[in-house]
Amino acid sequence: MTNTLAGRLAVNASVPVQASRWPARLDLAQSISGLLLALFMWGHMLFVSSILISQDAMWTITKLFEGYFFFGRSYPGIVAVIIALVFGLFILHAGLALRKFPANYRQYALFRHHMRGMKHEDTTLWYWQVMTGFALFFLATAHLWWMLTHPGNIGPFASADRVWGDNFWILYLFLLFAVELHGGIGLYRLAVKWGVFEGDDPAASRRKLRTVKWTITAFLIVLGLATLAAYVKIGMAHEDQRGERYTPAWVEHPEEHAP
Amino acid sequence: MTASTDVRRLRIHVLRYNPAEPEKAARIQTYELDEAEGMTLFIVLSELREKHDPSLQFDFVCRAGVCGSCGMVVNGQPGLACRTLTAELPADITLAPLPTFELIGDLSVNTGKWMREMTERLEAWVHAKQQEVDLRRHEEHMDPDLADEVYELDRCIECGCCVAACGTAHMRTDFVGAVGLNKVARFSLDPRDGRTDADMYELVGNDDGVFGCMSLLACNDLCPKELPLQSQIAYLRRRMAKQA
Amino acid sequence: MRIVYSDVLVIGGGLAGLRVAIGVRRRGFDPLVLSLVPPKRSHSVAAQGGMQASLGNVIKGDGDNEDVHFEDTVRGSDWGADQQVVRMFVNTAPKAVRELAAWGVPWSRVRRGDREVIINGQKVTLTERDEAHGLIAQRDFGGTKKWRTCYASDGTGHSMLFAMGDRAIAEGIPVLERTEALALIHDGRRCHGAVVRDLITGELAACVARATVVATGGAGRLYRVTTNAVINEGIGHALALETGVAALGNMEAVQFHPTGIFPAGILVTEGCRGDGGLLRDAEGHRFMPDYEPEKKELASRDVVSRRMEEHIKKGHAHKSRFGEHLWLDITLLGRAHIERNLREVKDICRYFLGLDPADKWIPVRPAQHYTMGGVRTDHTGQNPSLAGLFAAGESACWDMHGFNRLGGNSVAETVVAGMIVGEFVADYCEGAELEVSTGLVREFIAREQAYLDGLCSGGGKEDPSALRVAMQEIMTAKVGIFRDGGDLAAAVEELRELYVRSNGIVVASRAAGANPELVTAYRTQKMLRLALTVAGGALARTESRGAHFRADYPQRNDQQWLKRTLATWPNPEADLPTLSYEPLDVMTMELPPGWRGYGARNQIEHPDTERRAQQVAEVRERLSGEGRFAVQEALMPYEQLLPESIRGRNERLGEKLP
Ligand SMILES: Cc1cc2nc3c(=O)[nH]c(=O)nc-3n(C[C@H](O)[C@H](O)[C@H](O)COP(=O)(O)OP(=O)(O)OC[C@H]3O[C@@H](n4cnc5c(N)ncnc54)[C@H](O)[C@@H]3O)c2cc1C
Ligand code: HEM
Ligand code: HEM
Ligand code: SF4
Ligand code: F3S
Ligand code: FES
Repeated sequence: MTNTLAGRLAVNASVPVQASRWPARLDLAQSISGLLLALFMWGHMLFVSSILISQDAMWTITKLFEGYFFFGRSYPGIVAVIIALVFGLFILHAGLALRKFPANYRQYALFRHHMRGMKHEDTTLWYWQVMTGFALFFLATAHLWWMLTHPGNIGPFASADRVWGDNFWILYLFLLFAVELHGGIGLYRLAVKWGVFEGDDPAASRRKLRTVKWTITAFLIVLGLATLAAYVKIGMAHEDQRGERYTPAWVEHPEEHAP
Repeated sequence: MTASTDVRRLRIHVLRYNPAEPEKAARIQTYELDEAEGMTLFIVLSELREKHDPSLQFDFVCRAGVCGSCGMVVNGQPGLACRTLTAELPADITLAPLPTFELIGDLSVNTGKWMREMTERLEAWVHAKQQEVDLRRHEEHMDPDLADEVYELDRCIECGCCVAACGTAHMRTDFVGAVGLNKVARFSLDPRDGRTDADMYELVGNDDGVFGCMSLLACNDLCPKELPLQSQIAYLRRRMAKQA
Repeated sequence: MRIVYSDVLVIGGGLAGLRVAIGVRRRGFDPLVLSLVPPKRSHSVAAQGGMQASLGNVIKGDGDNEDVHFEDTVRGSDWGADQQVVRMFVNTAPKAVRELAAWGVPWSRVRRGDREVIINGQKVTLTERDEAHGLIAQRDFGGTKKWRTCYASDGTGHSMLFAMGDRAIAEGIPVLERTEALALIHDGRRCHGAVVRDLITGELAACVARATVVATGGAGRLYRVTTNAVINEGIGHALALETGVAALGNMEAVQFHPTGIFPAGILVTEGCRGDGGLLRDAEGHRFMPDYEPEKKELASRDVVSRRMEEHIKKGHAHKSRFGEHLWLDITLLGRAHIERNLREVKDICRYFLGLDPADKWIPVRPAQHYTMGGVRTDHTGQNPSLAGLFAAGESACWDMHGFNRLGGNSVAETVVAGMIVGEFVADYCEGAELEVSTGLVREFIAREQAYLDGLCSGGGKEDPSALRVAMQEIMTAKVGIFRDGGDLAAAVEELRELYVRSNGIVVASRAAGANPELVTAYRTQKMLRLALTVAGGALARTESRGAHFRADYPQRNDQQWLKRTLATWPNPEADLPTLSYEPLDVMTMELPPGWRGYGARNQIEHPDTERRAQQVAEVRERLSGEGRFAVQEALMPYEQLLPESIRGRNERLGEKLP
């Protein structure tokens, strides 16, 4: 009886061949590298904008990184190592993110056409994320390479000389906008992509996230511009003494204290 | 002769192309007609076909927003034409077929074929835990809240708007789209489906699946059934990432 | 010439068609499904309210069983139904719900404890049983004694069709989407498949099979105002009619739903009233209790629709720019309830009327809703005159709805019929080889091709769209809710004229491919034939029964009309169908004709009724201690008619299986 009445449900046994786990790992790595970079950029911005507080502040932080307060003298090599690490992360992230780029012009054109017709904010933001990512590919590489090869040339005067005297402000101006837009959109995307801060009403949370995102981006750009202006100002004033290093008034012959 | 002066004259621009007549290039054809109260694009297009151009191709079935046949791009945005009131649109209305799907002609596209392929690929049906169910006996118990939750995700009408709205799907033809990801979410939520996360990973754990989604969220914003695609895709992504 | 072979050709990818296909596949045969649209877009998807099955899980369904469901259905049919088929149906419906549950339908479930509902305009607290927690829930629907309608929120048809569609894909059942059957291939005795047209390329082909199943759904588009989809044009009915051999049963039995939104005709579910919604007139007065003190808004659909039209005729309608209508008030259910359980209704109001039903009343007026008539079959789903031709679902008349179907009984019928007919089709296939001459197939294709070519090149000048609109207007105005001899005679005459004119249809567009104008053209003539069978049957039937209401013959007349109308079209040159009748045998009825419990109480009795009623009373008396199954068995045995695999009792909370 039971047999004839059975609903005769087909059971589709799943095939035991395992799909590769790499797509999951790569996606995670992309997000984590992006997140670390974005967090690093916040720190970086605080660090460079310390010039707005005072030249001493900037000097102190620089020296902190160079190990001056631990070892009593500067080791720019430490900075070089940090830069190399960040560079590595950056290359990793760029490599992973490149997978998401339009693979050819056709794809690019399709996307652009679609985006223009639809006028949908998050779709448009992605386009800008790709564009800024592409720009960062060159701009940030240039900056990082320069820093990697001149790790000792960081400081209130050294930086200002570079910004103004070596005309790096042009690079930085573009780099600033690119990285802040990119990072801001990236962090927002991380939140919606993984569903953090979703709350009970994902739509409302998303609206909030977007506001927060724009606020942070605007703040960081303003801060960055002010910082850049500060370097430019110092650079102009310091034009005659190019090459001279900054030494705070309270430090005398700093490098002589070395063990 | 009761036509009052405030009746709008609508200009309907339709992207026309019939693949069966490849010698005629794709073109925009413009029709004009008077707006009426409560007029939907279903009424507009039916009238155009009845009175102006019997060769115009489009798909309507339920004309009540429940069957998912009438997805098209209205002034740039994918949506269900049958439940779009002209009153909510400007007087110039541009209609185009849903992109990313095979074009049948004018505004008609083959979403059915796409959806069947997607269903087969994702095995989007209940994979029962038990071999046999005795239909004379009580059905399996199910928590009422869980039943409601499954229903929420079951409401997808396979209209294809989410795919047409998705930039990723435009670039990568093999992407399963939000509709596919939602199906996987729906079946993994269903207690009657015996598949585990690892099984689901086999289906969507790749760059044509959940890891291909770039969180553009147009799917979420344009889904006519307002499915919670954003949170479902995110949730699925977390669970699939755990498989790493 | 392309010929596609399969074991079973299923014309129609709705609930009924798909379930038949799954059934035959599981018996090892190869089905092929045809559908005008992707199967999941079939109009089964639009059913919101629910599916009747006597599970009796909710407290208000306690005590429900097959017997109660049977009586409700037969009363609803106004004794027009085949009672054995009804028995087969009510016994299988619970199994169908449970099968669908296993296939993934997210049926709404019972939650233990107290909940507040609105019954009869009053707030009432119901306490659900602990042991029912998590079982499939039921809601109230018109014309039922118990709460029996299982539902998945308000997207029941959608969830059912999607589960069924996915199941069919899982079983690897091939579907020719966007393919239309144009004619059945037959030799006068046996059906061999159909000539089909590809609606993308416009090409003709033949689908040849051992058995052919018509599951093409309703024919609502014969009317101007209907809740049906635009593809519900009755083409499947017409296919059978045009064989000249197969008959259509009871085509005059057309149901009107009380609550189509005005003026678009889009349905808002009966669930609105089931959940406690009220009908009001222009003055805001709740008028149904005045007419139907017992069942009020929840009398059967034919009764409510008629009362509404009656009330409108008395001048109580709200007058709008587009005409007169009444109101459906669900504001009293509260926003939370509406947003949770009647969301589809809310969406419809928002998108098609621009209003919020939690604040405002919904403008409604009855609209054509359901085609009780269909391809006549026996209890196995097979047509008695054309072997190998089966039918199931709304397009069939194996006759479980008689002259009026109850809400929720239709999606239930589609699945149940699919389960039953699928088995019988498989049985048929076991004994029937594929045997058809290619000559016959070629002849049929050539005939159809010539017909289509004629439409494109003929010398006529008739515009098919105009003919169709004229037909729809005649049907709505003269073959609607209230019918009378004068109107009907006029309707038949006018339709006949349209039909004659339709021979001069000409298609202007030469577009390659689907050519929508050509589609309209060839369907219009089919629809006109069908309209004539509806109007002709209604004119001939000089009584009122169920949904068929004759103002000039307001009584149900069992004495003369306890019989089924059979319409055929034997001579293709004729311009009217041929009607004949098939009597219903009172002496074998389990429930002899009586009063329905609502509506008018003035039938003319059949001479056998009293005798049979006495017999029934005696049996009930004699077996009163033996339990309901023994009584039923003695009155009208039916279980032997069911396929073996779906026989057996159904478990309920109060009724354990041995
Ligand atoms: C708005 C609405 C709400 C409803 N609500 C309920 C409810 O709550 N409860 C209830 O019980 N019933 C309800 N019904 C009735 C019920 O939904 C239908 O009767 C039932 O779903 C019909 O199913 P079917 O499988 O017979 O046909 P359909 O689902 O209509 O399918 C017909 C199929 O046939 C195909 N077809 C048609 N002609 C051809 C052809 N010539 N060639 C090839 N294919 C063809 C179509 O493509 C389609 O796939 C409702 C009906 C409507 C209109
Ligand atoms: C060569 C340089 C870079 C390129 C080409 C690049 C490119 C991209 C692209 C295309 C994405 C989108 C990926 C997707 O949609 O899935 C992305 C994401 C992201 N990027 Fe970058 N990026 C670069 C550098 C940076 C830097 C310097 C930061 C730090 C601020 C950063 C932070 C992020 C973040 C947080 C995300 C989101 C991660 C995710 O979606 O998983 N990127 N990047
Ligand atoms: C460890 C690695 C890095 C170090 C040590 C570093 C160091 C510095 C320093 C010292 C400055 C001040 C100007 C100068 O001296 O030239 C600066 C400015 C800047 N850096 Fe970096 N940087 C690093 C990585 C990055 C990265 C990865 C980015 C972006 C992708 C970046 C973007 C910028 C920008 C935009 C400015 C200009 C800020 C402004 O003044 O507004 N930096 N960086
Ligand atoms: S998810 Fe939404 S937009 Fe996508 S197919 Fe389903 S209903 Fe349509
Ligand atoms: S729009 Fe596309 S990229 Fe993902 S979030 Fe939606 S599927
Ligand atoms: S026609 Fe069915 S959703 Fe528009």
